[in-house]
Amino acid sequence: MIALLIANSLALASLLIMLASGLALIYGLRDVINFGHGAIYMLGAYLGYTVALVGGFWLALVVVPILLALVGIAFEYLALRPLQNRSHIEVALVTLGLGIVLGQIIIFFYGGVARSVDAPPILSGSVMILNLTYPVYRIFLIVMGLGSCAILALWLGFTSSGLYVRAVSQDPSVARMMGINADRLSLLVTSLSTAFAGVAGVLAGPYLSVDPGMDAAMIVNCLIIVVIGGTGSIGGAIVAALLFGLVQVAGSVFLPSIAALVPYALLMVVLLIAPRGIGRGRVLN
Amino acid sequence: MNSDTRTRTGLGHDAVGTFGGQSLRLPLAIAGVLIVFALGTVMPTRFASDFVLRLGNEGLLLGMLALSVAFLMSQAGLVALGAASMYGGAGFLFAIAMGEWNLTPLSALCAAFLILVVYAAILGALIVRTNPLAFMMLTLAAGEMIGHGVMLEGLRDYTGGADGLVVNFKGAVLGMDAADFASPGRFWPVAWTAAWLAGLALWAVGRSRLGAILRAVRENEERMRFSGFDTYLPRLIGYVLVNVVAAVAGLLHVLNAGFVSPESLGLSISTNALVAALIGGIAGPAAPIMGGLIFSFAQDEFGARGLTQLLTGVAIVLFIVMFPRGVVGGLSSAARRLAQAMGGRREKS
Repeated sequence: MIALLIANSLALASLLIMLASGLALIYGLRDVINFGHGAIYMLGAYLGYTVALVGGFWLALVVVPILLALVGIAFEYLALRPLQNRSHIEVALVTLGLGIVLGQIIIFFYGGVARSVDAPPILSGSVMILNLTYPVYRIFLIVMGLGSCAILALWLGFTSSGLYVRAVSQDPSVARMMGINADRLSLLVTSLSTAFAGVAGVLAGPYLSVDPGMDAAMIVNCLIIVVIGGTGSIGGAIVAALLFGLVQVAGSVFLPSIAALVPYALLMVVLLIAPRGIGRGRVLN
Repeated sequence: MNSDTRTRTGLGHDAVGTFGGQSLRLPLAIAGVLIVFALGTVMPTRFASDFVLRLGNEGLLLGMLALSVAFLMSQAGLVALGAASMYGGAGFLFAIAMGEWNLTPLSALCAAFLILVVYAAILGALIVRTNPLAFMMLTLAAGEMIGHGVMLEGLRDYTGGADGLVVNFKGAVLGMDAADFASPGRFWPVAWTAAWLAGLALWAVGRSRLGAILRAVRENEERMRFSGFDTYLPRLIGYVLVNVVAAVAGLLHVLNAGFVSPESLGLSISTNALVAALIGGIAGPAAPIMGGLIFSFAQDEFGARGLTQLLTGVAIVLFIVMFPRGVVGGLSSAARRLAQAMGGRREKS
């Protein structure tokens, strides 16, 4: 029972980690919270649906992140860079507007009905682990989620570009003085962030449903996670995503009647005892 | 803009100086305002069709929401994306108070209003101490929380789930019964007066000491704290005040519509209010209400619901990108100075 609960919450947290760490990355470099991140995730899910119909799930898992990285590059050049001297609140509002537009365009092309994506044969069905039958696809989700965490940690911790990203996140002006090109880094980070959202979107297909309301639902969850984790803290976001997944899953098991409100209760409790979040976000220091 | 330059000259000067300068022009201004108000109360009900009046009523109520968003933006530098929970919440509470608790209309209005104010105060106490960006995220999350809460299976008997509630309105409020409120012509003067009162009230607050403190906190919170000002309570009071305006708009809406649906709690209501505020401009009390009216008529023009949402998104982007100083100028310079303050502090540490 407990093992099942933990596994389920890890599966949910895997998706949330990919999305929330993308948000935190952009925030670290640009001080901007991308309110359109939910719409980008939704774009990933719908593109994943289309590509999976044509060439199968595995192709979608490769192609969609590449396509969304291109979207991220466009987002960087057309929105973030021209607006980098504007107030962060204004840029956040622009991303909110762009997200609404993108969501409506997707609904225009795909209609208002929910779609479903089938997991590839190798990932469908269940396996026995420690006397528990568990869906293979969720194990795959957990592996992908933890794997992307590990890659992110390795990149940030052991490469020069990762070091630069940490430097800019910690102190943009000093980092620039030391000769770090924040614009080039931002291009990398933005496309990485949208590509991660694309991976999450494709992975969400067989796990959750692909429907027109998924962008709003997901962005709200991600915002809660980013606030709980401490705005801009990637480590905090990962811990908060794990906590969020656990609370969400435990809520639907133990308190099914009010499960929808449990994440908000978590948010309120965290705000009450630690208004700055559990991580060490830069701006809130 | 204007408020910007005033705050820079100093707090005390602001509070004293503006009132002295205005006293000469005051009688003329008051007379002009009264004439506009009186004409606006009477003329539309004489000359406009019911259809136009209905759009006008919706526009005024949206304008009041926009006013609440704009006031917080211009005075406190905070963007709230949770207007819908006040707007729709007022409707649900009123319908429940009438239907389930069997209150009289007036006491139902008061009960709904009180609950909303308490909710706004509790939520505000939690979220106004965060930074502006987190505040924006948290208002969005809180709005979604209320939206989900109403749809809970266990509350279906109370809230009607996805179907919403029809208001069981018996009796009268201020001499108006259900039919009066539903009639566009008789509702117009009520909405018009309410919009004016809300505008005047927030305008007065903006000119008061509280407004001056809010703007000063917006410019540089740390400086205000070091100068011995409480920076928390003024922001909380400001937050509760704008929610009072939003709650009044919501109560008027449910009186007019006679029913309440979960859509009135949706994020789109909050973004509509934001767009209306951006269209009108966030400075002063009249501009956001005008923005609400413009939005209402534009929404009718662009008909289909899908298109409305798309245009809402386009409008947010356009107005912020195209009118950087005019629309959110105060906000922009506030954030820049905030960033400078942060940068300065970081170098020291």
